[in-house]
Amino acid sequence: MPDMKLELQVNGRKVTRRADPGQRLLDFLRDELNLTGTKEGCGAGECGTCSVFVDGKLVKSCLMPAAKAQGADIQTVEGLARPGDLDVIQKAFHKTGASQCGYCIPGMVMAATSILREAPEASLDEIKERMGGNICRCTGYSKIIEAVALARDVVTGRASPAALDPETVGDSFIGHNVRRLDAPSKVTGRLKYAGDMVMPDMLHMAVLRSPHAHAEILSIDTSEAEAMDGVACVITADDVPGKDGFGVFVHDQPIMARGKVRHVGEAVAAVAAEDVATARRALKKIKVEYRELPGLYDPEDALQPGAPVIHDYAPDNVVKHIPIRKGDIEAGFAAADLILEDEFTTQQVEHAYLEPEAGLAYVDADDVVTVISPSQNITHHRHMLSEIIARPINKVRFIMSPVGGGFGGKEDMIYQGMLALAAMKTYRPVRLVFTREESIIASAKRHPSRVKYRMGLTKEGRITAIKFDMLSDGGAYGMSSEGVMRKAAILSCGPYEVENLQVDTTAVYTNNTPSGAFRTFGGMQAQFATESMIDIAAERLGLDPFEIRRRNMMRAGSLTHTQQKLDSASIGRVLAAAEAASRWEPGAPRMRGPERGDLGGPGTRAPCTLGARFEASKDGKERVA
Amino acid sequence: MQRKMRGRGVAASWYGIARTATVDRAGAWAELDDGGTAKVVTGVTEIGEGILTVLAQIAAEELGIRPEDVTIGDNDTARSPEAAHAGATRQTYMIGNSVALACREAKSRLFAEIAAHWEVDAGTLVAFDGALKAHGTNLAMTMAEAVDIAKKRGVVPVGAGHFTAHGTGLNPVDGSGAPWQAYVFGTQVAEVEVDTLTGEVQVLGLWAAHDVGRVINPRGVEGQIEGGVVQGLGQALMEDYRTEQGHTTTHGFAKYILPTALDVPEITSVLVEDPDPLSPLGAKGIGEPALVPTAPAIMNAIHDAIGVRIKSLPATPEKVLAAIAEKEARDAAREAAE
Repeated sequence: MPDMKLELQVNGRKVTRRADPGQRLLDFLRDELNLTGTKEGCGAGECGTCSVFVDGKLVKSCLMPAAKAQGADIQTVEGLARPGDLDVIQKAFHKTGASQCGYCIPGMVMAATSILREAPEASLDEIKERMGGNICRCTGYSKIIEAVALARDVVTGRASPAALDPETVGDSFIGHNVRRLDAPSKVTGRLKYAGDMVMPDMLHMAVLRSPHAHAEILSIDTSEAEAMDGVACVITADDVPGKDGFGVFVHDQPIMARGKVRHVGEAVAAVAAEDVATARRALKKIKVEYRELPGLYDPEDALQPGAPVIHDYAPDNVVKHIPIRKGDIEAGFAAADLILEDEFTTQQVEHAYLEPEAGLAYVDADDVVTVISPSQNITHHRHMLSEIIARPINKVRFIMSPVGGGFGGKEDMIYQGMLALAAMKTYRPVRLVFTREESIIASAKRHPSRVKYRMGLTKEGRITAIKFDMLSDGGAYGMSSEGVMRKAAILSCGPYEVENLQVDTTAVYTNNTPSGAFRTFGGMQAQFATESMIDIAAERLGLDPFEIRRRNMMRAGSLTHTQQKLDSASIGRVLAAAEAASRWEPGAPRMRGPERGDLGGPGTRAPCTLGARFEASKDGKERVA
Repeated sequence: MQRKMRGRGVAASWYGIARTATVDRAGAWAELDDGGTAKVVTGVTEIGEGILTVLAQIAAEELGIRPEDVTIGDNDTARSPEAAHAGATRQTYMIGNSVALACREAKSRLFAEIAAHWEVDAGTLVAFDGALKAHGTNLAMTMAEAVDIAKKRGVVPVGAGHFTAHGTGLNPVDGSGAPWQAYVFGTQVAEVEVDTLTGEVQVLGLWAAHDVGRVINPRGVEGQIEGGVVQGLGQALMEDYRTEQGHTTTHGFAKYILPTALDVPEITSVLVEDPDPLSPLGAKGIGEPALVPTAPAIMNAIHDAIGVRIKSLPATPEKVLAAIAEKEARDAAREAAE
């Protein structure tokens, strides 16, 4: 491999290293200098987690070849404050609770630093604009922006440095704004996520993924890859010693494709090698013979007679159907003055946690197979892996590393099994870090949904009956589909007491990217439909949307859709709280925006006018700013 | 129609706390340690929601010490009791209550020793912020001294706790059952501006009122609401994972569009407390529920602004423009007919 001598300044210290000229500055900082505060979120310059200063200019280090940093002065998040200390911006992030998972935070801190250096008097709008290149998936940005504004005010003397101090506690720590204990390690980049961890003698894994949505695997030839220098092992489904199969509900997914592939991006084989580049090169030497099969890409098609079967155990392609029945919907609709029918759809949604999947596995001195990863369910993963690798449960250990965003997406054991198998095969530590593209094609998404809705109401706005039918694309594997359908069904008709209802939720297999757990677990898809229907009903009946909700809401003693008696129901209180806080002007939802008197007041921001901006100049003419 | 139209919409929601339609369980260990500090051991760790800080607050409150005195050992199936998974809006409820119960046991061991040492009734002891007192007396010491005394009397103040949430399975025919023992409710109001020339929707204000049972950390709850709202906004207006014949066409953040700081409305969180009567803490949860009403509130606001209903998420500019064109055609046809 060609290399060059690289001389540069990093955080005020001279650094001289031999480096691969093709290496990205990001890799040089992380792998050569172990400055892992600089994170990789996307590898494409789109998320900002890898931001560093190069000669004082904020740069996304995933886009810059290390060779171009020859002679440059680099500053990373580790160089902002003295070790063990926090600078003003870091203190402000700590104070406001700006860090959640923390993975985007070093990049955010760097972007904020750049603002205070270049535009110390920046307005809130300018702060937002300058932070616009950094993605955060946890915080909704609000507390980050608050932190930057606070730091700005302290730096410019508008606020006292005491504004950064913790709030004093009264007579209880419950209900008190205790600052996050993990914030200092997150705002300084000190916290090690799985992809930041290294062990002596560690191997690096790369995964061969299916290019087909549905295909039979006729043969896999790994011999050429295995013979390569630097390759420690290649694993396939044949290396699984126990009962292969994982899933949150049904264990229908093998560690690596077994006999056939069911979605594009499914793991087929994996290589563990001395470095990532070698592992990736070895993937190209693995020969897989496929025979393509007819695929299913629409959940309606999956239910047609004669549709291709994705899993033999489910010849009807149904992952799960959940029925809920209460009362008599025929009688309910007969009693209605108004019957509404409509259809609602929601899309597949990517979790987009900033930390791509990563893990590290090893076999310890007591022969315990240990996997460190940002798993959201180490308990269940331990159970499943124990069966898959046929080892007693006390010989399987899962350690949950700091999770750089999960939202349900890290409940599926989609890579930990491969790491365990490679560690068992080599008796060396093995690390795998997904690329963003890999994360997107291999991990579960929010279930898309189609809801057919029928709602009957009296002219006073009381719901008399609901018929609710949801069909969801579960994708290639079951993952959390069963639970998502269950929760969607239970919550379907919203916080309202409905005497007569018929609810069905169904998830089916297709050859699309699997759907799985995602924050609300089916609750938002179902209630999007219900809350839209209620608004339509209010419009038709001339009722205020708060009022129609109050007329139907659950109360203490109400029976839920699953006929559970509630001891209390706070829906009346939250309706009143939102109505008061938003200064809601009552009225039926009949496009009254143009006449409303409650718009644009406290609690709103000015519209963003980014793009071509026009400024009125002194002569009265507008010009592009 | 003017180019920029504004409107408001509301949506309500409900949600169950902890695992669905099953018995949920979690365990934790606690030890009052030297120096008046504490170790708390639990099987989960932070996924960003702030659970470690919440657990430290709970432990501090229960033990009478400070949150920064609490060391949390977490996240390891070989070293910590089972806490099960980090999801289902169950962390504060399941792990928080387990930690509270473990701490109560540890504290009762310590208090028994100090009560004997002071020759007072253990029920008179109160501890807060590192200081221990016997109510109605002048007796006082630091928690550091208290732990030292307990150990000199031969007792290590340890405790274990577990918490159960009694959900029941659903009847397979009619779905009847009691899937959760604790429910939360929420309501959000969105104010939007629709650019009828470009189809772009901006959410300018969002008011989010949520029952969380009991607030442990107000900023933490707000952070969960703000994050949930912005994820809901992303799903409402821009995010769309797409595949063609099973191949994704949105394989990176250039194609898969996420909300940035510029998309975020001003968010006003209103925290409502309807304490859970079935658990020691009374707290419920907020992680997932915060997201539920956001998209329908925004869609209802779009309707209020321009009179079209977007029933298929996301409400991209293309979809909004198509809906406006359809409405205009419909209105024109109606006028022609009249």
